[in-house]
Amino acid sequence: MTARHDLAIAGVGQTPYRRRHEGSTQELVQSAVGLALADAGVAHRDIDIVIGGFAPDGLAGENSPDKRFLPSAGAVGKWSMRINTGGTTGIAAAYAAMDLLEAGHGDLALVVAVERMAQAKSVPAIFNSIFDPIYERDTGLSTVSMAALRASRMMKRWGYTVEQWAQIAGRNFDHAKLNPLAQIRSGYSADDVLKSRLLSWPIRQLDACPVSEGVCAMVIGRSSALGSAALAHVRGRATYTDTYNMGDRIGRPEGDLVELLTLKKASEGALLEAGIQSAMQADVIEIHAPFDSAEAMAYGPLGLCDYADGPALIDSGFGHRDTAGTVINPSGGPQAANPVGATALIRLAEAALQVRGKAEDRQVPDASLAIATGQGGSTQFSTCTVLSRE
Amino acid sequence: MSEINHSTSVAEHLLTIDGHWDFQYSYFAGKSASRFFEGLRNREILGSVCPQCERVLVPARGFCDACFVDTTEWRAVSEHGTLEAFTILTSSFPGLPEPPLVVGYVKLDGASTAVLNFVKGIDLTDFDEAGAQLLTQPRVRLQFKEECEGRITDFYFVIEGSE
Repeated sequence: MTARHDLAIAGVGQTPYRRRHEGSTQELVQSAVGLALADAGVAHRDIDIVIGGFAPDGLAGENSPDKRFLPSAGAVGKWSMRINTGGTTGIAAAYAAMDLLEAGHGDLALVVAVERMAQAKSVPAIFNSIFDPIYERDTGLSTVSMAALRASRMMKRWGYTVEQWAQIAGRNFDHAKLNPLAQIRSGYSADDVLKSRLLSWPIRQLDACPVSEGVCAMVIGRSSALGSAALAHVRGRATYTDTYNMGDRIGRPEGDLVELLTLKKASEGALLEAGIQSAMQADVIEIHAPFDSAEAMAYGPLGLCDYADGPALIDSGFGHRDTAGTVINPSGGPQAANPVGATALIRLAEAALQVRGKAEDRQVPDASLAIATGQGGSTQFSTCTVLSRE
Repeated sequence: MSEINHSTSVAEHLLTIDGHWDFQYSYFAGKSASRFFEGLRNREILGSVCPQCERVLVPARGFCDACFVDTTEWRAVSEHGTLEAFTILTSSFPGLPEPPLVVGYVKLDGASTAVLNFVKGIDLTDFDEAGAQLLTQPRVRLQFKEECEGRITDFYFVIEGSE
């Protein structure tokens, strides 16, 4: 495998993440891209590659939105394409940009990831339309019930309780208070989570992510082409794909549905490439989990604990910025804002801001090593990226 | 209509334009699902067997996407199985009966994989109590509807011993 030590993230630009943005998609994209270019200290003319991520077209209500949003990201005259792999869209776009840079197609790439779901007036029905129309869609499967099916299996296998999951949510909401870009900044407590409306047992409203919009942009380049700006070096990354069929993963010997085999393989690959023994060495981990139970599902695959020890890890207070050790989701994570098409790139962007020392109020002191995960499809696409300051 | 004063640099109101995306579709089920649905009309649940990993895939597939080889044999599986994962839907959803509803993945005896469908025969007065009971991974029986049209909703699962 070729060494990837040459790539670094040099700039990040983000709109705030909100329930609804009044601006047009083009305006939001152009604004986030402008911020990313300014943060990186590079000009639009220096960009060689523009990769855009946009989630299911139905959410924005515009078929093939690439034709209009890519030019708004500065694609005119450049190598450009659009990527869509559901929840992993944003990070898949970043990986495509990195692949093209490594292949020698340029020195600087711009990645932009977009979510416009406030334009949809029937969000649950659109989310149902992402599922298999032949065997599964008639059962009303949604992103929430899909997560709830996993949550109940985790309760059975490892003894997780709804109170433990509410603790995770409470920590994410607590962190989000320090992030002005987050949508939910009111600091809901674990108790608030347990009292919120039941959506799909055992998942309640505040166990889940909100409906969010926003755009995240990023400048990635060959370190040699970047100046002395603060960089987040890409030390390792890997991605794996599983079958769509969730029923095929139930009781599967090589990895059960809730053992998240793809993230296990991705994190092992990324850590090995980065030369890191354990994810516990990271100062920051941004976990792409739109539900608190889904965050707990990532602990085993990331090697933060054995699968069966997840409940005890939560009880220990692990992951809070006021607790010693690795900080999980200092941004508040997807539970505080989850613009679907952008959210996986936001995880990488927030990890990059941390190791670049640019995370403002949410900065984890002296963060030099960060990990970001991505999760999409029917929890079948996983990515893991390791970033470092040096 | 055109109340925007273009002489000002910023619009007084940011507009929204209403639209629709109500397209109709007819999805091609393909060879294996068509055969599976034909089986439902004959009141049998058909799996397909992967010659390499020897899994019995239910509902039937024309190929195993793990081994990436064609399935080579049809095999009927039992109407009895185990509830492996579930959720209680508590919010109304377009096209579904009124909540609460239980959906779950059931591994039928003789199948290597689980199939998703509605689960009946559980008292849903108290969701936490129902949840605790369903967490025991109860045995279920597959129940066909009176009229089978060749669709996944031709059957549902009933908790064993609930009748």
